[in-house]
Amino acid sequence: MISPIDITLGLAVLAVAGLSLIPRSRLVFTMGFLALGIVITMVWLRLDSLDVALAEAAIGTGLLSALMVWLAIRSPEPPGAGGMQSSPRLPWLRPVIGAIAGSGLTMVMAAVWLRVDQQLPAWRQSVDQQLPDTGVEHPITGVLLAFRAYDTLLESAILMLTAAAVLALCRGGGLSTPGTHRLGVHQTSSPMPPVPSALPWAARLLAPALVLLGLWLLFAGSADSGGAFQSGAVLAAAFILLRTSQVSLGTATEHWLRPVLVGGVVIFILAGLLGPVLGLPWLSWEPGWAFVVVLIVEVLLTAGIAAGLYTLFLTLENPEGVR
Amino acid sequence: MTLAQFSLGGLVLLPLLAAAVMIVLPHLWRRILGVVFGVLTAGLTVPVIAQVSASNLPELVLGGFEAPLGIHLRGDGLAAVFLGVTALVGLVLTGYAAVVTKAEGSYFSGSSWQPGNPGFWPLWLGCWSGLNAVYLSGDLFNLYVGLELVGLTAVALVALGGRSSWEAALRYLFIAVLGSLLFLAGVGLLVSVTGTLDIEQTREALEQLDDQAAPLLALVLITLGLGMKIALLPMHRWLVPAHSAAPSAVSPILSGLVIKAALVVLLRTWLWAVPLVQGSQWLAWLLGALGAAAVLVGSVLALRQTRLKPLVAYSTVAQIGYWFLAFPLLPTDNNDDALAAGAFHAVVSLAAGHAIAKAGLFAAAGLLKDRCGTDEIDALRGAGVHQPALILAMGMCAVGLIGLPISLGFTGKWQLTTAAVAAGHWWLVVVIAAGTLLTAGYLLRGIAPLLLAPAEQPEDAPAAGPVTQRIRLGEAAVILLGLATIGTGLLGAWLADLLEVGAWW
Repeated sequence: MISPIDITLGLAVLAVAGLSLIPRSRLVFTMGFLALGIVITMVWLRLDSLDVALAEAAIGTGLLSALMVWLAIRSPEPPGAGGMQSSPRLPWLRPVIGAIAGSGLTMVMAAVWLRVDQQLPAWRQSVDQQLPDTGVEHPITGVLLAFRAYDTLLESAILMLTAAAVLALCRGGGLSTPGTHRLGVHQTSSPMPPVPSALPWAARLLAPALVLLGLWLLFAGSADSGGAFQSGAVLAAAFILLRTSQVSLGTATEHWLRPVLVGGVVIFILAGLLGPVLGLPWLSWEPGWAFVVVLIVEVLLTAGIAAGLYTLFLTLENPEGVR
Repeated sequence: MTLAQFSLGGLVLLPLLAAAVMIVLPHLWRRILGVVFGVLTAGLTVPVIAQVSASNLPELVLGGFEAPLGIHLRGDGLAAVFLGVTALVGLVLTGYAAVVTKAEGSYFSGSSWQPGNPGFWPLWLGCWSGLNAVYLSGDLFNLYVGLELVGLTAVALVALGGRSSWEAALRYLFIAVLGSLLFLAGVGLLVSVTGTLDIEQTREALEQLDDQAAPLLALVLITLGLGMKIALLPMHRWLVPAHSAAPSAVSPILSGLVIKAALVVLLRTWLWAVPLVQGSQWLAWLLGALGAAAVLVGSVLALRQTRLKPLVAYSTVAQIGYWFLAFPLLPTDNNDDALAAGAFHAVVSLAAGHAIAKAGLFAAAGLLKDRCGTDEIDALRGAGVHQPALILAMGMCAVGLIGLPISLGFTGKWQLTTAAVAAGHWWLVVVIAAGTLLTAGYLLRGIAPLLLAPAEQPEDAPAAGPVTQRIRLGEAAVILLGLATIGTGLLGAWLADLLEVGAWW
């Protein structure tokens, strides 16, 4: 049943996770995290969950690592030099309690999990029956953009509002001067740290390939693995790479970042309103034109997700300046 | 599709649309749009409450895909009550934030911190949308998504309070995410044994299940996660810095509404999705004991505060305890429906009453803090001389929090006491009585100095600003909430009728 590969992967996850918690330097910690992401992506691939593996690689590992690398370069030492100080009187107490609680929790969870008579999801059959009405062919895309479109809409809104939150914490609340609607992200004008001369060259070479990969993930999503979230993450990565290698994106960012950021959610809600206009429930689309709606929504959502993730990277700098 | 069904979707999606559009607009337009969509969202609750009041249960099958494949929105009694409370409090606070610039938080201009963060508006409308999503959801995973929407916007709203609020906001973020993950783990365990995410179908599937270990573990995980988000003692430490460092319009949203979203999810889980799990009696008793501890410890800590906003925040910690006192009375193995219904009504009345009264009290505390530049109770001595109407309104809110008639706080405590006596749990009555006395004590300690003659001010004390026209308008918001605290006390019987619709019994 359990192959040696699975055991090796499982042990590797534990080992890499443990190793990435030990170092005190943020850069080494970040590298450990990157390695952990790669191993976990392989675990998802072993479980035949290509969609989850893609999402893990693109968002969990790729983008989060970019944010962490930025932080590690900006301030290599964690504040308070290490943070977790052991209690002076009983230095062994915290690890012992942690170990007891952790092993107790693992045993309870494992005992229940092994006893449970697992049921297959009851929606499997109806997915196959109703998929033709949705305008897409891949069941996961069908669940994301038709059956549970409401969840996807709220999830995209969460990302959009996260970007709105980090913009609100910028200088001027994200507006260039009070009273205007112009985007003002002061970080766009602050210089990026110097990079080796080979990076701008490589970034310019890689960016078209990344954009192509992003678009492929987007359009393949209707028939195969991939979709808006993975594609958006790859596109955001292309922007981050270009910005890191000091390619000027300032003007385009100022004009297009927020319209693109909100476009997907706005069109999604307006498309959802088509149902009530025609006397159907919210978020209903007739099989005849469902494909067109789903396609437009997915393209705009992808752009919105890319813009949201890029905004997170763009606004990393403390508005009060580096301390 | 009926108007009520349209409203079920619109209550979530229209504020969300407003939040999205606002992100590209200038500050003034955000305020205008915020007020317009606030009125619209509050208006949409009317058809839903009217339907529920006529003993109908409006239900919307999103996209026309029936469960377990799709998601149902259900406007039952519990949802209707909290929709109504959120509409009332939300509308008043929208007006409050629109007139009092400082209430929107502050932003860094490049050299100094300035009042009035334009980011408040999209985040608040997004939060309102998430609250409505949580109340209406009939699907376990969708509940998680709604909780995330509420939690994330709430954290961001705290961070609008300027540099000093960031640490509290970060701590709140960790707790909110950890709580959500525990909830999600519980939901995952439930799906693995039931094969469905729909709440009604989960209940049916669980009733046919022999082995109750998995639902019990799921219930423990969900209760722990939501306990963190509600800030039940001893998981309350994040609440006080977050709620007191937040901007003046945000603290009432957090204390009044955001923690109620987690409470509604907890009630949905305990009473609708996973009821009657054998062996869960100890968990109910544990929650009851923690609730009693929260009432007593929270009140004593509130008494010891020297600043007004932390005092009000600790009062929230104490009031949270009352809701959990009722858990041992909810049915876990004995099917005494009348007793359980009484306990359930008590929780809902107390929580609804708290939402209105605490929103008013926090808005008043924020107004005083913004005008005087500090919320040290000693420095605020005599501050109420210029704002007598504000102090009157704070007094009305205090009536609701202490649980004096007529207020929902009184209704709730009465129902809880009746249920406790009927079940023979006299110790609950003792806790309620002690909590009531302590509440009166700490609120008196917070409000009374405002009316005393001002003490000798040290030279370096920040000068209190004048009472401007805008502050008078802000006072009107507090007065409205104070009047609502008293006025809703007359609705106890109607509330009980509403809660009958779609109840689990």
